[in-house]
Amino acid sequence: MDAVDVSEHYEVTAADNSPSLLSIVLDTNPRAWAALDSSLSLAQAISNILVFVNAHLAFSNTNQVAVIAAHVNRAVWLYPAPQNPSATTTTKDNSGDVQMQDVSAETNSSSASANKYPQFAQIESSVFSSIQTLMAETTVQDLDQVTTQLSGALTLALCRINKTAQSLSSSDTTISNAAPVNSTAPPPVKGRIVVISVSDSEPSQYIPTMNAVFAAAHNQVAIDTIALAGDSTFLQQACFNTNGIFLKASNPQGLLTYLMFGLIPDTEARGSLITPTHDTVDFRTACFCHGKVVDTGFVCSVCLSIFCEPPENAECLTCGTILALGNYGAKPAVIPRKKKKKKKITNGSGREETGSATGTPRP
Amino acid sequence: MSVNPSLHLAEYLERLPGTTFKKLYQQPSTTFAIFRRMLPHLAKTFVMRMLFLPHPMTLTDLDAWVKPEAKRKKDQSLSILRSLHIVQISAPSKEKPQEIQLMSNFKKSLRLALTGGGNHNSFGVPSSLLVPPEIDLPFLDRYARKKWEDVLHFVVSSVGYKSSVGDGSGPNKGVKELLIAGRLVDRRPNGSLGITQAGFTFLLQEANAQVWTLLLLWLEVLGNNKGSGLDPVDMLSFLFMLASLELGRAYDTNALTEERRNMLPSLVDFGLIYIPQHKRSMFFPTRLATTLTSGGNSLRTISEGVTAATQSAQTSQQALGPLGGSGGEQAGSVVIETNYRLYAYTQSALQIAVLALFAKLNMRFPDMVAGRLSRASIRQAINFGITADQIISYLAAHAHEQMHRTAALTNKPVLPPTVVDQIRLWQLENERMKTTSGFLFRDFTDDKDYLDTARFSEEIGVLVWKNDHARMFFANKHEQIKDFLKTRKRAE
Repeated sequence: MDAVDVSEHYEVTAADNSPSLLSIVLDTNPRAWAALDSSLSLAQAISNILVFVNAHLAFSNTNQVAVIAAHVNRAVWLYPAPQNPSATTTTKDNSGDVQMQDVSAETNSSSASANKYPQFAQIESSVFSSIQTLMAETTVQDLDQVTTQLSGALTLALCRINKTAQSLSSSDTTISNAAPVNSTAPPPVKGRIVVISVSDSEPSQYIPTMNAVFAAAHNQVAIDTIALAGDSTFLQQACFNTNGIFLKASNPQGLLTYLMFGLIPDTEARGSLITPTHDTVDFRTACFCHGKVVDTGFVCSVCLSIFCEPPENAECLTCGTILALGNYGAKPAVIPRKKKKKKKITNGSGREETGSATGTPRP
Repeated sequence: MSVNPSLHLAEYLERLPGTTFKKLYQQPSTTFAIFRRMLPHLAKTFVMRMLFLPHPMTLTDLDAWVKPEAKRKKDQSLSILRSLHIVQISAPSKEKPQEIQLMSNFKKSLRLALTGGGNHNSFGVPSSLLVPPEIDLPFLDRYARKKWEDVLHFVVSSVGYKSSVGDGSGPNKGVKELLIAGRLVDRRPNGSLGITQAGFTFLLQEANAQVWTLLLLWLEVLGNNKGSGLDPVDMLSFLFMLASLELGRAYDTNALTEERRNMLPSLVDFGLIYIPQHKRSMFFPTRLATTLTSGGNSLRTISEGVTAATQSAQTSQQALGPLGGSGGEQAGSVVIETNYRLYAYTQSALQIAVLALFAKLNMRFPDMVAGRLSRASIRQAINFGITADQIISYLAAHAHEQMHRTAALTNKPVLPPTVVDQIRLWQLENERMKTTSGFLFRDFTDDKDYLDTARFSEEIGVLVWKNDHARMFFANKHEQIKDFLKTRKRAE
């Protein structure tokens, strides 16, 4: 009889088995990799990344990956491989279809090995062939660019996550169109972007990068970064804003260890793990007028645009508002601060002062 | 589940001795499959972090990884890892802190699986022969589905619900024997077949668990039968290998060992693989096989979501019929409302028959049945031997997409709590009376005699009930009381 207990409710919730989509953005700046070559060559790095990709796929057979190269002048898909435009975009998500169409000749030769999980072999061949094409297409003129076009790659990654999420949630389309998805609901796919960065942040890319970052934060997509070289200011902010992990790799040859140790937990596992934190975040921004990274700047009071120096005619370059500069440059009068009485700490405890003279009565 | 304690894979694996695991972990595909299928998420993360560590690490370091509030999860993960012989934790001693490391076999194989390479051929040797053009994914899905539904129909029809689309053939004789040997159905005295409680449990599981249940039964039956010459460990590792094969690709049977080739006919009977009639040297794994390692109820995978979306866009009629879940049933078709009404968007005679086990179905439309759960229907199911938990987990596993979506939007459980509670209460109604066999002591000569004996029986823990007024008590064992009474008598 005692077993009948009204207060106890038996709740049946669906187990959290939403798939996890990992997008890897690989900075393929040839100059930076040439500089790194002594400690870690690009080929080694790619094989390390592939092991990491395999580890992610091993977690569950619903997990997915996408690999994108952020090159000096454009962003390129490495996996899934870009396909001929005649193929419809809808079949792109289904990795099986992609392989059936464009590498059917290749699959027989490259992944015929019985020593490898078929999916791993597919990814490997796709990434290797794509990166070879990319390197072959890179011209001398391209090398004039010193930094990497990161924002495009981030946007591509976000688009893919969004597309996957939509194709998952709209398996019966009619209902989801009628009811807009509540933003508080958990997304159907756990998206995550891992950026492998080797170059400095390009100040002119500040606004597109940050737009991508805020879009990621809005969609609960974490951006993780492992910086092998260079000064990636914006990526630090990106990780901070999206609750991602920022790792500065002091020994690039240990890339695999950094990846496997620091970046393997996905957003679900991070709920129960203590993640590596970055204590200092470079919050500096780039100005709108010259694209310089500034410590202190001028901000338009209307549209919040940032300038490194007062704009011409005191007119905001973005919104056109005439701004009055006041007496800028005048030395501020120094008013000595009143000495505050030091508060006495009662009982040696860090208790907050309640304002009452007597302490709380104790029984 | 006292009838068949090994119906679940985890329990089956946990009973295996450590040496078996050593053998299992020699194959990268097996290691990979066990990693994917058996471990909770946090445990997978632990394994991955430890995978490339050169030295054992201390347990205190591991504690430092985990947030304090997740300590219980961590302990659970560790105990699973230990029971599957994946990690090794050194014994506590004074001079050295406790250390944890992956078992060397497991570590080596998982590394091989992730990096590729080696010469183990454990991911299947593809066939070099030309694939007949008619064998494509829809064909394999149809085939696997048909085979599996045959098995389920056989179990269901033994309840008495004759399927309307009966094809007469049913599963193979071997499968039937196996179902009987596994006591999912048993022969009644009058010669007919009747479903057992284990059979109901089997029916109400989701497809992936059903496949495993049947496979484990099969392993057990063959394991008991020493004459078959099959090694259960090798078979298990073959099953795990099947799970890592690629759907829609042909594999070479000649690359398999003799024992494994002998297993193929049975696997064909279950619908796990397909062997073309005229080309006996190749086999195709079906979706039943390749999803063996998908966890719990991951029926709604990405590719299926995409397939469903594209198909419903292209032809709205076809959207009802295509490959549904990984097994014989369409994933998620049951809607249940707070007023106990139940709607199932299905045409499958099988699913309708299963629903009819515990719900009163009163309307049938071309693609939908409607009915309601009532006290009478649940009571009937309980009389069959189905438990409330089984019904609830069936409903949860087959809940319609829309139920999941509403639940996610409103942060509520998938099934209405009132219905879930009521199903349990209906079950508890039957459990109000508990019978205990034992002995009634009465007709004591005086009050002291009674009180002493009753106190004694209470002290030794055999007293079930007593009534001081009528000088009676009831105990479930009498030997010690008899001795007590004897010694008392002698003392007088």
